[in-house]
Amino acid sequence: MNKDVLSGLVLLVIAGLYYAATGQIADSTLSDEVGADGLPRVLSILLASLGLLLLVRSLLAARAAPRLAAVAADGKEADARLPRALGFLLFGAAYVLVLPFLGYLASTALLIGAIALFERTERPSMVPVIAIGGAVLYWAIFVKLLGVNQPVGSLWRGILS
Amino acid sequence: MNHLWDIVQLVTTTPLVFVAIGGLIWGILGGALPGISASITMALVLPFTYTMNPAMAIALLACVYIGAEYGGSIPAILIRTPGTNSAAATVIDGYELNRQGRAGEALGISLMSGVVGSLFGLAMLVLLTEPLSWVALLFKPTSYFALGILGLSVIASMTGGSLVKGLAAAVIGLMIATVGTDPISGVTRFTFGVPDLLSGVEPVLVMVGLFALTELMSQSGTSNIPRLKDSIRIKLPSLAVMNRLKRSQFIGCLFGLFEGLTPGGGGSIAAFMSYNEARRWSKTPEKFGKGSEEGVAAPETANNTVASTTLIPLLSFGIPSSNSTAVLLGGLLMHGLLPGPRLFEQNPQVIDSLYVGSLIAIIAQIGVGIVILPACIWLVNRPRPYLAGFIFALILSGIYTLNNSTFDLGLALVLGLVGYFMRLAQFPFLPMILGVVLGHMVESSYRRSLVLSGGDHAIFLEDPIAVGLLLAAAGFAIYSLTREYLDARALRLQGARS
Repeated sequence: MNKDVLSGLVLLVIAGLYYAATGQIADSTLSDEVGADGLPRVLSILLASLGLLLLVRSLLAARAAPRLAAVAADGKEADARLPRALGFLLFGAAYVLVLPFLGYLASTALLIGAIALFERTERPSMVPVIAIGGAVLYWAIFVKLLGVNQPVGSLWRGILS
Repeated sequence: MNHLWDIVQLVTTTPLVFVAIGGLIWGILGGALPGISASITMALVLPFTYTMNPAMAIALLACVYIGAEYGGSIPAILIRTPGTNSAAATVIDGYELNRQGRAGEALGISLMSGVVGSLFGLAMLVLLTEPLSWVALLFKPTSYFALGILGLSVIASMTGGSLVKGLAAAVIGLMIATVGTDPISGVTRFTFGVPDLLSGVEPVLVMVGLFALTELMSQSGTSNIPRLKDSIRIKLPSLAVMNRLKRSQFIGCLFGLFEGLTPGGGGSIAAFMSYNEARRWSKTPEKFGKGSEEGVAAPETANNTVASTTLIPLLSFGIPSSNSTAVLLGGLLMHGLLPGPRLFEQNPQVIDSLYVGSLIAIIAQIGVGIVILPACIWLVNRPRPYLAGFIFALILSGIYTLNNSTFDLGLALVLGLVGYFMRLAQFPFLPMILGVVLGHMVESSYRRSLVLSGGDHAIFLEDPIAVGLLLAAAGFAIYSLTREYLDARALRLQGARS
C-alpha cells in the first residue's frame, strides 16, 4: 500500500480515537464558553480532514507512475532497516524495565554492552570492559559530579540491607 | 555603567565562563559526529539543564549551538561527510582543499569564518532583539492566538515536503499539548488515570524522542564512517588571507542575517545561498568546486551567523524558526521563562548570560577549536556500535533526570517510535514539536479571547494585529500549496516527456 494512503488512514484512526476520548473529559463549573473539550474536538476534526485530504490526494496521485516509483525505491531501504530500528528500541524498553531492579550502574552497563553487540561490534571480547567502564564513567559524571539522582536498584538495596 | 558592572559581576561571580566553554566543547564534539545535528546535540544536554540556574542553562544551550555549527565542518572537510546539515555546503570546497593536502588551512578558514559570522550574528542579536520584542507589548490574547497559528502554519509550510503532512504534524503536536490538566477549568484530559500525565507531556521528552532517539534508530545497522587522519592540525589563516576572504564573509553575514530572521530558513539554506553568491561575486569563480578558500569561508560564515540571528524571532516573539531554536525554547519554557519583552524586563540576567556567554564562546572558539581537534578526530574514529550505546545511555540518563521517573523513559521511547514512523512516512518533526511547545499559548489565548467577547469569534477580526497575522498565516499556506501544485505538475510533465 502507498505510504501516503496508509498515513491518511492512520491519521483518521488517531482522529477517531482522540475524538472518542474527548467524551471522557468531565464537565466543570469553572468551565468557559469553549470548555475543556472544545479545542480537542476541533483538533480531532482538523486531523480527520487532513487525513482524508492526504488519502484522497494520494489515491488521485497514484496515476503519476514516475513519482510513485521513486517513492517506492526510497521506501525499500528504510523498510529493510525497520526491524533493526525496532530492535534498538526494545533494548531501551528492557532498560526501563530493569532500571528500578538493577539500578543505574548495572542497567547502563548492560545497555551499552547490548547495543554494542546488537550493532555488531568488531571486537566483542572488549564489550564487558567498555560497557562497565562506560557505566562507571556516566555514574561518576552524573551521580557524583553533577549530583543527579539515579536509581540504586532494589536488588542491591535488598542485599546491602 | 551599572549594566556594565552587572556584566563584570556576571563573569566574575558566576560559573558563566565554564558554562560557555563547556557548552562550546560539547557542541563542537556533538557537531563533529556525523548524524548528530546541532539540535540533537542540544537536545542531549537539555535534560541536564533542568537542575541548573536558568541563566546558566540558557547560556549553555546557546553555546552548544555555536559549537555545533563549527563542529559540523570538521568531518565535512576531512571525510566529505557533514557533521550537521548546515555544513553540507562546506563539503564542496573544504574536501577539495583536504584532497590537495590543505586540510589544516580549510579547517582554519572554517574556524575563523565561523568566528566572524558568530560575532556579526551576536551583534545583530543584541541590536535587534529587544526593540523587536517591545512590539509584543501591543499584543492582546487574540494577537497571541494568531501569532501561534502563524508560527505553526509557517513552520508547516516551510519545512519542505507536503503542507498537509506539516499541518497534520502540527495538529498532533497540539493534541499532545492538551494532555494533562486543562489550564482554564482544572479538569484533567487524556490522562487515563495515569498520575504521571497530570502535568502533561513535557516538550523536552518530545524533542529528545523525535530528534535524538529517532536518529539513533535510523542509524542502527549503518556501517562505520571512514577513519579520520590523526595527524591533521588546524592552520589559522594569515591577515592577508582573511583580507582576501572578507568579501565572501560579508556575503555569508548578510545571508546568515536574512535566513536567521526567516522562519524555516536555517543554516543549510543560508550556507548554500551564500556559497552561490560568493561564487558570483568572486574574482576567481573558476576555483569554486576545485578547492576555493572563499567556498569554505562563505558557507561557514553564513551558518555561524544563523546560530545567533535565528534567536532574534525566538527571543522577541517566542517563535522558533528551526529545530535548534525549538530546543532552546524548550529550555526557556522548562525554566518557566516566556520569550518577549517581559523576559528582558523580569529576567535580564538570563539575557545578559545568553549574550555574554555567547561572546565568551565565540572568542574561546579560536583556542578551543585548535585544542579540541584531536579529541574530535578520536571521537569520530570510535567504532559506531559503542558510540550508539554510549549516546543511547546518555539520552536515557538525561530523561530520567527530569522527574526521576521511568514513565518518562517509556514515553520518550514511544515518541522515538512515533518519530521513526513519521520519518518513514516523510512527516516533518518541527511542526509537531512547535505544536507541543505552543499548544498552551494557542489554547489559553483562544479561550481567553472568547471569554472577553462572550463567545463571539468576531473578536479576532476586531484586532488588526490578529487579522494581519492570520492573513500572513493564510498567505504562507497558499504559497506552500501553490509550490506543491507547481512541483507536482513539473514532475508529471517530466514523466510524460520521458
